[in-house]
Amino acid sequence: MAGITFKNVVKTYDNGVTVVPDLNLEIKDKEFVVLVGPSGCGKSTTLRMIAGLESITDGELYIGDQLMNAVAPKNRNIAMVFQNYALYPHLSVYKNMTFALELAKVPKDEMKKKVQWAAEILGLEPYLDRKPKALSGGQRQRVALGRAMVRDPEVFLLDEPLSNLDAKLRTEMRSQISKLHKRLGTTFVYVTHDQTEAMTMGDRICVMKDGIVQQFDTPQNLYDHPCNLFVAGFIGSPQMNFIDAQVKKAGAGYALCFGDTEIAVDKPELAPYEGKTVVLGVRPEDLHAEPQFFGKNNVINAYIDLDEMMGAESYLYLEYAGQKMIARVPARYAKKAEENIELAIDVETIHLFDKETEKAI
Amino acid sequence: MDKKPSHARTVIAYIVLILLTFLCLFFFYILIVNATRSHPQIQKGFSFIPGHSFMKNLKSVLNDANIPVLSGIKNSLIVSSLSAVLATYFSALTAYGLYAYDFKLKKPAFVFIMLILVMPTQVSAMGFINLITKMGMLNTLYPLFLPSIAAPAVFYFMYSYMQSSLPLELVEAARIDGSSEFHTFNRVVIPIMKPALAVQAIFAFVSSWNNYFIPALVISDNSKKTLPILIAALRSADFLKFDMGKVYMLITIAIVPIIIVYIALSKYIVAGVALGGVKE
Repeated sequence: MAGITFKNVVKTYDNGVTVVPDLNLEIKDKEFVVLVGPSGCGKSTTLRMIAGLESITDGELYIGDQLMNAVAPKNRNIAMVFQNYALYPHLSVYKNMTFALELAKVPKDEMKKKVQWAAEILGLEPYLDRKPKALSGGQRQRVALGRAMVRDPEVFLLDEPLSNLDAKLRTEMRSQISKLHKRLGTTFVYVTHDQTEAMTMGDRICVMKDGIVQQFDTPQNLYDHPCNLFVAGFIGSPQMNFIDAQVKKAGAGYALCFGDTEIAVDKPELAPYEGKTVVLGVRPEDLHAEPQFFGKNNVINAYIDLDEMMGAESYLYLEYAGQKMIARVPARYAKKAEENIELAIDVETIHLFDKETEKAI
Repeated sequence: MDKKPSHARTVIAYIVLILLTFLCLFFFYILIVNATRSHPQIQKGFSFIPGHSFMKNLKSVLNDANIPVLSGIKNSLIVSSLSAVLATYFSALTAYGLYAYDFKLKKPAFVFIMLILVMPTQVSAMGFINLITKMGMLNTLYPLFLPSIAAPAVFYFMYSYMQSSLPLELVEAARIDGSSEFHTFNRVVIPIMKPALAVQAIFAFVSSWNNYFIPALVISDNSKKTLPILIAALRSADFLKFDMGKVYMLITIAIVPIIIVYIALSKYIVAGVALGGVKE
């Protein structure tokens, strides 16, 4: 089993485009790490560099303590699950799963045992003789997983494996992959652009943008303490509200002013920002319609543009002081579109960002 | 809603199709009928009814010492089969090289192959004969099939087929599974290319089978002649020996292997072997 280390890794394509400018990352042994970010952020390239499908322009990549820069994919002891399955169309499910084992000259009995084991876990036993084209999307994806499992790899690489599945199947496969990780105890590196997948599956999440790691932390920490505006906006659904607010001195502390609201905050870090504008980040669930949250100077009276009833809760799309916001409130406290609603901001949970550098204050 | 084709349209469609089928098959029918008729019968004019000279014609073709039919069939089979195998396998290999790998001069290589495609055989024939004479291959079968290794038209077909049906993820998956590059080509790429290989194998077989020009230049020994040369020899036989029934019989014999090859390979010409392996 092995961890993965990137040391100042650079990836520049032949056409001169640098996708990954300087990557430093340490993935621990047996960890489930999710690389997440918008398309074109370099997450797939990073995964393909681990696989050896993409050459490394500069820097060092280690799997375990072995330098991997010049090692061919087949000698890295990794397995990869592709977005579009990449099953061999002319081979049966069984043959697809034993393709690598045959090359490794694994004895026939052992091969059979391994396939049986994987097929049992993935529920593929009835389909072993079928060709991929006779399988549904979910089944194909499980075959792709099975093909990786039987190899006993040191590292499991998954490149957006669920993006071709429908919503229900995706949720199901998500939990299957998480269970698989616990069961196999192998290092998993998982690429996705879906923050829900990242949050639910990863031990740690690496948020990337333009080839640069924005934050590498546990899901809870990413959610509670995003290090910059990008991470704050990317993690969480619906996304965090960003409000331009002016910092004023108010008694011993400071006040954040926007519209006709002045929220008192006790944050000495705001000292350098006195008289300047900062970005106030409020998660939709931290805008409360319940009366017990109403206090002095933390209530806004917003106009509801649109309401989305989700059952237990409602998403309210609001407009306040020229700024758009989303609130997530219990259904029984929600109001309808084109009405006004009073909402309390939970001061304890607000996030503050520098408007220039976009970093958390 | 789809409009139901009218009755008249269906009738017209059938008439056109019957006409086309007739045009395609009529000549085969005449060929086979004439192969069963004697020379004087054929000279009298054309008939739909088969004659009684089938065995006589067959015997006279097989027993003619100047026309070694059996060795002609054997030579043609050897040359055409090897041509088909070499042309399809090596063209697929070349196409794969240009499709799956990135290297310097990839584009010029492609353009160069395309340039060869537009060069007629006749233009390079003299040079070709010079070359094989120097290599000591004149009057052997080698020059008839070895050049098939470089078949630009087949290459182009394979290249286009790969672009539409061979996802590179499959190649990458095989690499990660521990497969060497050559093994990947033979075990993953070739099976996916089967329909393209079958189509091109038929074309290569037929064009080599019908090839008269190069064998006529290269081969001088009677025992090494291929069927098209034998047919030509029979047709140009002098006035006294000229037997139309014999000519028709030899042509009939000559088309049988092509029909067999076509029937054998046509079942592979099914689209969508790659379907299902990769989600589109």
